[in-house]
This record gives sequence, structure tokens and C-alpha cells, in this order.
Amino acid sequence: MSGDAPVAGPVLEVQDLTKHFVLHNVDGRRVEGLLGVDVSVHPGEHVALAGSSGAGKSSLLKCIHRTYAPSSGRVLLRRRDGSVVDLVTLPDHEMAALRGRELGYVSQFLRAQPRRTPLDIVVRAAVQRGMDRPAAHEVARDALTRLRLDEALWDVHASVLSGGERQRVNLAAGTVSPPRLLLLDEPVSALDPTNRDAALDLIAGLTDQGVAVLSVFHDLDAMERLATRVVVMAGGLVVSSGPPGDVLPGLMEVAR
Amino acid sequence: MSDGAPSASEVDTGEWVLSVRGLGRVFGPLSAEAIAGTGPEVGTAKHGPTGTVVAAWDVDFDVAAGEALGVIGESGSGKSTVMRCIAGDLDATAGSVLLRRPDGSRVELLDMTPAERRALRVHDLSIVHQNPADGLDLRITAGGNIAERLTAAGWRHFGRIRERAAELLGRTEVPLVRMDDLVRDFSGGMRQRVQLAKALANNPSLVLLDEPTTGLDASVAAGVLDLIRSLLEDLGIAAVVVSHDFAVIEMLTSRCVVMHHGRVVEAGLTDQLFEDPHHPYSQRLVAAARA
Repeated sequence: MSGDAPVAGPVLEVQDLTKHFVLHNVDGRRVEGLLGVDVSVHPGEHVALAGSSGAGKSSLLKCIHRTYAPSSGRVLLRRRDGSVVDLVTLPDHEMAALRGRELGYVSQFLRAQPRRTPLDIVVRAAVQRGMDRPAAHEVARDALTRLRLDEALWDVHASVLSGGERQRVNLAAGTVSPPRLLLLDEPVSALDPTNRDAALDLIAGLTDQGVAVLSVFHDLDAMERLATRVVVMAGGLVVSSGPPGDVLPGLMEVAR
Repeated sequence: MSDGAPSASEVDTGEWVLSVRGLGRVFGPLSAEAIAGTGPEVGTAKHGPTGTVVAAWDVDFDVAAGEALGVIGESGSGKSTVMRCIAGDLDATAGSVLLRRPDGSRVELLDMTPAERRALRVHDLSIVHQNPADGLDLRITAGGNIAERLTAAGWRHFGRIRERAAELLGRTEVPLVRMDDLVRDFSGGMRQRVQLAKALANNPSLVLLDEPTTGLDASVAAGVLDLIRSLLEDLGIAAVVVSHDFAVIEMLTSRCVVMHHGRVVEAGLTDQLFEDPHHPYSQRLVAAARA
């Protein structure tokens, strides 16, 4: 294996992934989540998952992140050193170590310590991904500025921030010194149009940097602007996929 | 120590700081019937016919440096028994508990003499108790409590001891002006901070935290939790956090085990356990906490 040589092929390759839940306390009922999903994301590709709620989009992201334990299938992640690991069978402590470093997950909600400041949250995220502190400070300030978070809020406790402010801190922390694979689950849902615009610009920049992005956005407009490919899901399956120009008009038709 | 539990040499401990294998503690006569007749499937830790209580059995987990592992369960689940066996406050009936020291050597904690154990508790393994009175001498000062731990480790120079105590109190956010106040005059939150400072005094390899914020008011608990999380992240210590409180486990740990009637019923990534619990008991526990 040659150390840092660029490696061809997808960063993420999901193969025949299934997920079901067994609700032991509701008569052992079985609920299907994913019924065999294949999807891959290459460096510099932004794959947007589309489909109605309940289609399995968020479940797919959570299975890749192992917030849900997949029932079967493979989730192959190509690491920085070119080696490929299957996240479905990776031991828990190795998965914990991989998270945040080689695989990022930005959800709708900020999951940070309430008494940390936005700047500290973002700096720590960059340091976790291998930056030294001065460089981390620089990229953190840059990200918070680009996301238009008022500088007066950078050193207050995150617990006092509004939903939209928290979401921007969350996005900044998830995207500074970005990991090779980024999972975005409705990352701009609480933002007003101006801030949403800035956030979408930042996300578009990730693709230009070669980050592989797999996303869920509730609005077709964001998908149209960001996605290099759209994968449509329904009932826990992938039903179609293609360039946004081919796939989205059909979806807009349905939405109307 | 017991039949069936692997000996130390067979366990692949890798880079783990702590490896717990087949740990068990039984009160009363140990028998195959008592083991078979207790646990989550039976719904009790007490074996009726013999009166034996299987407080913990067949407990396995590992913790790496810089990692915090949670042990969650209701009172009576066996989580405190596990903690006390690791700490040496209670003799285990079965199993193995291996600790890796900073020099790379490994010691079996369950085979230690009392003198070895005392030395271990000074240098390598610290405990933060729910009740500060269990970890501190309330009749002496904050600085004095820390000095006690340092002198036990061979520190002799008064000035350096003061300096180290001040540094530790700074880390745990205790105002330096309070260094020479008696701990009994401290609030609950401040006492916990002093206990943390004392626990960290000799750079231990492993810290056991037993319900570290349970006795505190919510707002005070949040501050102490925050401090613990930052210390664990920044110091790279291995930690085991025992709690019945989901918020504590969620905030401090990346992996955890769920205990019920003396057994581990589920082990996994902490967020997975909360979002996708598998065992019927874990599902009930999560549903109740989310309600």
C-alpha cells in the first residue's frame, strides 16, 4: 500500500444493506426499515437521497453511521490510507474512533455539551481531525464567519443559542477540516433564506474540495443546487437514480 | 480465578487499559443451579431454592485509553457490584480484571494483596464516588485532601505539593482562594470538583466514576458533567462511568453496557443503544427514559 497516493474508486460503497427493527414490547412486532440498498459515493460527489418520509433516507444515513445497527449487508468505507473497512462488522471501539475523523455526520440538531462555546465546539472538531490548535482556530473562525454566526455569540454557552444558530454551529463543526465522507441529515432545516444560502454555499464548497457527501434535504431546491446525483428511495429501496436534471423534474411533478 | 473463566494469558487484551472478563460476584453458595436460576430471563438475581444472590455474572468489557465506557442499569442491576469488584472494595467470585500500567505491564487486579491494592489505588486507579464523603476527608482542607494523595505517592516537597494541588484545583475549576478551606464548608458541586482533583492527582491510568453527579442539583450537575467530559477528552484517561441516568451516560461515554439482574444484556455504541436498542429490557429502559 502506498501511503497517501490518491486511490480511485468510491469512498463509500453500500451493498445490499437491510435494516429491520424488532419491537419486543409491542408483541415482538417486526418493522422493516431498509430492504436491500445499494449506493456508492465517490470523492467530490454529492449524492442526495430523495423520497417521501418513511422511504428510509435517514435510516440509511444512521445505518452507515452505525447509530442504527444494520441487519445485513455491507458498508465499505475507503480510509485515508486506502484500506477498506466494512462498517457493518467493525468492532464498536474502532467505529467510535473512526467517527468524526474519517466519517462525519451532521444532523438537524446540535449534540454538544451545553456549556461549550461555539468557537470551542468547532475548534475541537478540527483538532479531532488532526489539526493543530492555531490552524484549527483559524478554520473555525473562518467557518463561523462564512455561516454568518454573529461574532458576539462565539464565546457564549451553546445552550443559549437559537435553533438556527445551533444548526450553523453544528454544520461548522461537521465541515471544518472535513472528513472524506460526510453524511448530512437535513442540516439547514432551521435556517432562514439568507443563512440557508450561506450554508448551501459552504456545502457546495465541500464537493469542490473532493469530499464525498451523502445527504438528505427536504427541499428539492437544495438538491438541485448541490447534488451531482440524486438517488430516489421508496419503501426502504432505491427506486431510481440519475443526474438531478433527469430525476428532479419527475419528483417536482409528483410534489405538485 | 474460576473454572471456565479464561486465564490472563489467554485473553487478547491488545491495547486495552482495562479488560474485564467473566467477572462475577455471588452472595451465598455458588452452584450451577443458582447461575441457571437467575438473570434477565428468569427475572431475578436471587435464586429462590438456595437463597444465593448472583449480584453480577459473566461480565465482559474493555476500555482503551482516552475512552469512557458506560455501565447503565437500575439499582440492583449489578452495576455497582462490578465497580466495587474492579476497585477491590469487594472480592469477586469469578473472572479476571486486567489493568495495563503506563509502563505497559499488566496486572491482574483480582489477585492483588491488600498492600498492592493500596498502592494501585494511589498510583493507577482512582474512584470518584457519588458521595464526596467517601472519597474525601471533609474535616481537612481541599488542598490537604490532594496533598494526602500526593504524599501517599511519595511527594515530600511542601512547595511542590502546594503547586500541584493548586494546578489540579485550577483544572477542576475550584477557586484557588478556597484551597485552604475545609471541605465540609464546600457546596456539593464544589466537593465533587475537589474529589475529581484528588482523583487525578497522580495521573491514574483508569478512573472509575460512580454516579458522579447523582446527588447534585440539575444545574450544578450539568457543570460538573461538563467538567468531567472535558477532563476525560483532554487527559486521555480510560474511564468507566456507572450510572442509572441516561443523560450522564450519553454525555460522557462513546460505548456502554446495559446491566439487568446481574448480567450484561446489551453492549454497543452509546448513541446506537439509545436509538436502536435490541434487548427487550434495553428497549423498555430507553422508552421509559424518553417518555
